[in-house]
Amino acid sequence: MAAIVRAWKLVLSMIVLGALAAEALPVFAHGERAQEPYLRTRTAHWYDVTWSADKLSVNQEIVVTGKFRLYSDWPDAVQLPETVFVSNATPGPVFARVDSYLNGVPARQSFRDLEVGRDYEYKMVLRARIPGRYHVHPMIAIKGSGPLVGPGRWINVGGTADDFNYSLTAISGEKIDDLETWGVSAALTWHSIWLVIAAAWILWWVRRPLLIPRYLALKKEREDLLTTDTDIKLGIVVLVVAVGLAFYGYNWAQSKYPRTVPLQAGTMYTPPLPVQSPVVKIRFQEAKYDVPGRSMRMVMDVTNISDKPLRLGEFATASIRFVNHQLPAAKANVAANYPAELVARNGLGISDDSEIKPGETKQIAIDATDAAWEIERLTSFLTDVDSKVGGLLFFFDPEGRRHIAEVGGPILPVFKKS
Amino acid sequence: MSPNSREILAVSELPPEGAKLSRIWDWCVVAAVALLFMGAIHLHVMLTVGDWDMFIDWKDRQFWVLVTPVSMLMIPAALQAVFWHYFRLPIGMTLGAVLLLIATWITRYVGWHLWGYFPFTMGVPATMIAGALACDAILLIVRSSLLTSTFGGFVFALLFYPSNWASLAPYFIPIEHQGMVASVADMIGYVFPRSGTPEYIRMIERGTLRTYEGTTVWISSFFAGVICIFMHMLWWRIGLAFSTQRFVDSSKRFKKFVGLA
Ligand SMILES: [Cu+2]
Repeated sequence: MAAIVRAWKLVLSMIVLGALAAEALPVFAHGERAQEPYLRTRTAHWYDVTWSADKLSVNQEIVVTGKFRLYSDWPDAVQLPETVFVSNATPGPVFARVDSYLNGVPARQSFRDLEVGRDYEYKMVLRARIPGRYHVHPMIAIKGSGPLVGPGRWINVGGTADDFNYSLTAISGEKIDDLETWGVSAALTWHSIWLVIAAAWILWWVRRPLLIPRYLALKKEREDLLTTDTDIKLGIVVLVVAVGLAFYGYNWAQSKYPRTVPLQAGTMYTPPLPVQSPVVKIRFQEAKYDVPGRSMRMVMDVTNISDKPLRLGEFATASIRFVNHQLPAAKANVAANYPAELVARNGLGISDDSEIKPGETKQIAIDATDAAWEIERLTSFLTDVDSKVGGLLFFFDPEGRRHIAEVGGPILPVFKKS
Repeated sequence: MSPNSREILAVSELPPEGAKLSRIWDWCVVAAVALLFMGAIHLHVMLTVGDWDMFIDWKDRQFWVLVTPVSMLMIPAALQAVFWHYFRLPIGMTLGAVLLLIATWITRYVGWHLWGYFPFTMGVPATMIAGALACDAILLIVRSSLLTSTFGGFVFALLFYPSNWASLAPYFIPIEHQGMVASVADMIGYVFPRSGTPEYIRMIERGTLRTYEGTTVWISSFFAGVICIFMHMLWWRIGLAFSTQRFVDSSKRFKKFVGLA
């Protein structure tokens, strides 16, 4: 007995310790990291993501906005974004969705024919519903491929779940005072009525001698005893009641709710955001991932085709931002409250950070080093069938205006320290 | 005990202790059947009907009305065959329907509401009790599996929609949201996000059936009825096949192998 108690104590303490250890990690493991690097570096690149609050109580609203670029070198393993639903990733419906938009168009239904190489802008308004601490991400789901999750931010929700309310008024005038409970008691009542009738029917039979006696009687060809005239009369009553009640219920509902609509389906369309006139031409040369150094190095030729000098300010991929600390405009482009774990501490190393003059072509090597490669499990591109990497480059002109360019190509692993 | 019950016991020639034990046996079987088939039917419906009956914003007038009764009929029809063939008990379908409804509400409450934070409105289930009662009653009246399949199977599917509309109609009144019409059911699906269930995976009234303005649901119900006739025939036989025991003589070689000959 004591041994069992001891074993139990051990098991319980292990569970508690495990839970504590998990809680103590700086960022709790999330589904977004389960996605392969080619999904996260070569599909939707999320930028300018904002969360309007990081603390709110039940019934208060948070607005998540931002943009995404659908990367041009779209991986073959992922369906093209022909049907896309704009959504948010949270652990279950802990936030209620109030409104959502893609390029200003209501996003309650899915969108068709999004274009790779183009940018889209989304906005979603979420109302806090269940108290807790949640990682809130924007997300798009692509038909045939599934969800692509953007950067997440921890949001604390206070208050009590019981206070949550979502009420509506129907076009036909009915007042729906709570979308969480509307119609539920009526459904339960109808189900109970049917259950009672069914239970009565079953009881009618099982209260009598049941399996073995009936089986034996049937063997002796005394079927006449097993279903009597009364039984058959009751059977007729049950048939009439079942059909009658079904159609009575139908008519009752039709007269109570004379105006109903079918489920609304179908897709929406919006053109992508206008294209910024390109200011640079990028020629990818090579990319290497230094496994022990947790560092990605990429070499490219950059040609400035604009009439202003440019400097590279940021390399962004898989929701991790490598920012050029020497460039104030690039630093200013990172909002003060942006999740720190998604901004590489060492920033972006650039071999030649001097201005790229108009018309000039310059070979630059960038160095993106951060433990985030490991934490975000991006190193598994070594096990992908399509070992390529992609990202966005943010260039800034002297006025601080930002220009976005795509970069990417095959990536080679380096296993030994160079 | 009624005279009829006494007579059944007399005909069975069970001694009094035997009758008592058989009653205990009944309860064991009831408990086992209830739990086993509660799980089996629920699992079966989850796998074959899936989202169509899980979510309120999937219950369309075409596929939900078609897929749900056809799948819900299967295991109850097998139960009906077993209960009728061996015991002349016309309760198999009703039992299946009751067990499924109870199991569904348990998972909606424990799994969805307590665990997944979903409101009850998201998962109001359908029930097949009306059709199951009618089918059992028809079996009792016509006493033939063929006629039960023909009429019972058809009525089973036909009663599915009207008997559920009473509890589902409030979810189909129109709402205006973002300048568009939506049913309350659409709103529930939108307001309480399922991150793994994007809107586009719903299959809502595709194909030409929807062009029968307003009557889609009845055409779908009739079609489901026709399929249910054949489903009932098939699953009646599956029920009988799975409740038949045959003793097969071991071969000489096998007996020799295990040292019996
Ligand atoms: Cu997360």
